[in-house]
Amino acid sequence: MTNEATTPSGQPLGISHKPSRTKAMFSEFKAQNKPAFIGYLPYGFPNPDDSLTALRTMVEHGVDAVEIGLPYSDPVMDGPVIQAASQIALDNGERIANVFKAVEAVANAGGVPLIMSYWNLIYHYGVERFATDFENAGGAGLITPDLIPDEAGEWIEASDRHGLDRIFLVSPDSADSRLEVVAKNTRGFVYAAARMGVTGERSTIDASPQALVERTRKAGAENVCVGIGVSTAEQGAKVGAYADGVIVGSALVHTLLNDDGRTARGTAEGLSLLAAKTEELAEGIHGARA
Amino acid sequence: MSVLDELVAGAVEDAKAREARVSLEQIKRNAAQAAAPLDATRWLRKADGIPVIAEIKRASPSKGHLSDIPDPAALAREYEAGGASAISCLTEGRRFLGSLDDFDKVKAAVNIPVLRKDFIVTDYQVCEARAHGADIILLIVAALDDDKLKHLLDLAHELGMTVLVETHTREEIQRAIGAGAKVIGINARNLKNLRVDVSKYRELASNLPADVIKVAESGVFGAVEVEDYGRAGADAVLVGEGVATADDHILAVQRLVKAGAQVKTSESTPLSEHQGPYWGQFGGRYVPEALITALDELERVYDEAKADPEFHKEFMTLQKRYVGRESPLTEAPRFAELLKEKTGIAPRVFLKREDLNHTGAHKINNALGQALLVKRMGKTRVIAETGAGQHGVATATVCAMLGLKCRIYMGQIDARRQALNVARMRMLGAEVVEVTLGDKILKDAINEALRDWVTNVKDTHYLLGTVAGPHPFPAMVRDFQKIIGEEAKRQLQDWYGIDHPDAVCACVGGGSNAIGIMNAFLDDERVNLYGYEAGGNGPESGKHAIRFAPGTGQLGMFQGAKSYLLETSEGQTLDTYSISAGLDYASVGPEHAWLKEIGRVNYSWATDEEAMNAFRDLSRSEGIIPAIESSHAVAGAYKACEDLKAKGYTHPVIIINISGRGDKDMATAGKWFGYLTDDQAKALDVTGAHGDTIA
Repeated sequence: MTNEATTPSGQPLGISHKPSRTKAMFSEFKAQNKPAFIGYLPYGFPNPDDSLTALRTMVEHGVDAVEIGLPYSDPVMDGPVIQAASQIALDNGERIANVFKAVEAVANAGGVPLIMSYWNLIYHYGVERFATDFENAGGAGLITPDLIPDEAGEWIEASDRHGLDRIFLVSPDSADSRLEVVAKNTRGFVYAAARMGVTGERSTIDASPQALVERTRKAGAENVCVGIGVSTAEQGAKVGAYADGVIVGSALVHTLLNDDGRTARGTAEGLSLLAAKTEELAEGIHGARA
Repeated sequence: MSVLDELVAGAVEDAKAREARVSLEQIKRNAAQAAAPLDATRWLRKADGIPVIAEIKRASPSKGHLSDIPDPAALAREYEAGGASAISCLTEGRRFLGSLDDFDKVKAAVNIPVLRKDFIVTDYQVCEARAHGADIILLIVAALDDDKLKHLLDLAHELGMTVLVETHTREEIQRAIGAGAKVIGINARNLKNLRVDVSKYRELASNLPADVIKVAESGVFGAVEVEDYGRAGADAVLVGEGVATADDHILAVQRLVKAGAQVKTSESTPLSEHQGPYWGQFGGRYVPEALITALDELERVYDEAKADPEFHKEFMTLQKRYVGRESPLTEAPRFAELLKEKTGIAPRVFLKREDLNHTGAHKINNALGQALLVKRMGKTRVIAETGAGQHGVATATVCAMLGLKCRIYMGQIDARRQALNVARMRMLGAEVVEVTLGDKILKDAINEALRDWVTNVKDTHYLLGTVAGPHPFPAMVRDFQKIIGEEAKRQLQDWYGIDHPDAVCACVGGGSNAIGIMNAFLDDERVNLYGYEAGGNGPESGKHAIRFAPGTGQLGMFQGAKSYLLETSEGQTLDTYSISAGLDYASVGPEHAWLKEIGRVNYSWATDEEAMNAFRDLSRSEGIIPAIESSHAVAGAYKACEDLKAKGYTHPVIIINISGRGDKDMATAGKWFGYLTDDQAKALDVTGAHGDTIA
């Protein structure tokens, strides 16, 4: 039950039945009884060139899939660390059209490239145009923190045509009926928020993500990853014991920021801290069930 | 030979082969004996949705092989389960790989009308369709001359079938209507790139008789095309590949059905009773999933409250005894004289005095309504954003009255230019958080409030101050504010003996006071409605908060809703500027966006200078000092008069909504007009009471 993704006469694409890239990744990890490590970094932070190096560094030191953030002026789901990094990226000339270089960089380094973006950026760029460029760059899927499946008609259509994963979020207080809506419309994996609130590091992780992962699976999700508030190897190991993947953002971004939390560190120093933090987290996460 | 000629020739040849086995006479008898057809016209037009005709299609000449479909009956049942209104089954065997055997299986499997889709040009094929139980057949105008088309159409109608008559051009549509077609399929594919061309559809479908059912036939793939065609007026859509090749056929059809229902409800009238979540293409809930539970709860509790007479009673009692409603409708003859001097027409002007409410602005109407809902929800903590401070003060006030914990987020720049309001909120027991992120104005305060809400949603209500944000806020805040227009309408009649105003003027930031005064007049075409945005230094200066003028706002999603938005070429929110903190916002409520799109409200702007001149004009002519926000509506009255004059009015009756009082703005005004000595102005700067030195 398949057709070519493109037609020779240049007709509109039909549904691409290309297999999901992230699903394939999770299958591999499941076979080894290991969770995957998904690391976040905004594209363009601290500047466009260094961000490509940073993304490669993450893959080289143990990140399996990279969530490449698109900096946005009004990131309502993000805490101070990612807000600061996004602002630095915007101030340093980040352009959406160049994010596909980051996608290629991650793919070439052997990672699975994901993009995380607030919806207005994609809408403004053009949903179909974005899907085309993202697919061509080797992208795997898009995480949409402020787009719920109910509003995602255009994205569902474009991602179907281009064989891209759609990663929607769930949160601890999501009702079962909502989990079902998300599970049904997701392609790839569901992003479960470890707690109510915005991104940022926390010293402790409570028990709610495990219950949420279980409820989300019960609602029909094949793969469920946990993010928001996971910042240490120990926490990664704890979450990785039950989640299919562990998502770390602020803790990685943090390594590239100065102690004031508002300016970027020197590149060499930042990258070496990023590499070390990535390794530490990778060890904790990949060894979660050992 | 064209592709169509070839397909027709093949279909005729195949039909002849069948006729050799079963004669025309026999097939006619079979047709007469077949179970009665369903009246498909009843399925193909709905008040509350866009019926989906889902097609069973294995291949097409243009796209080649699409899907194997080993069990067409099972697929048909899935389409029906997903909410399809009819099934289209290809029976052409050469290029589309269909068959009458497929058709029989499909017909037996479902209880909705089934369309035989083939290249039908003979009586035999028509009767054969009926003999196999068809409820609908397809006739293609391009394959038939006028006589033949009419003949086959009549024959099908005699047999009780519905006929979908396919057309590609205006001329073919005329021929179809001439032949008596009741259901017309319009194929609006752009033949250059084969993409759906909705503007072409619009052009073709315009001026069709109202009783003709219009079916969009080409290129419908997903929710996007259903929405496009639905907004262009299609009654039904036919979709093939998008459902036939989907991984989950039920879900694929469900999505289309849902998109159609969404289009219909989004355009429902009367305008004054529209309930969202979509206002035309605007509105919705563009928020993190983490807020959906809270928004669902708010919607449910609000719906219950709306239906509860006790809630209304409590709300109205407090409006009267606490807020001091009703607010007067004051005639302004000396200001009307200024309008006359300037424009040459002689209006009667009435001011709706929301400035006389407790706390000095219209904002308390909404703050009070939502605070009562907070009690109903059993939440204990309220957060709110504020720009000018009016909504923050109103929220702090009702929270003090009801014993709710209250935190107000305010951009640092706004907090400085409205320092007295910051003090007022603190006096009322609220915690005021100055937001130093982003541009440090209203939008940044809303971002912080949203972050707080995402984190503390269990015990916290976000008391949004305007008709923006995610559903149900735009509809709910409108409901709490519509009392402004309802009172004004009644007061104009009862106090002044005037049946209706000719014009209503209001300022538009997020848009709550404007919606509040306009709602009662939205369905009265005699009333011209004018909304005025903050023009700052003018649209070309780049320093303004005009979202609706050409070259300013674009369509986008911002802080929960789809609307017009001031953004960069990258989709980043633009920094806005206005002398009035309350109008200094990058987006605008989705209902306003819709009212602009359908042309119901005339939107324009007033610059800082125009607003400040109006501020002085009204103060000196009537002894009423309006808020700088409201001064934009007063300035707008001059512009409205010019427009009314052009429309031929000589003595128009105009209502201006004075949404708030100007006491809070005296520092800004004192400086603007030079009423303060240098020392006094400096003293204000030092205490941070004036903002434009910081901006």
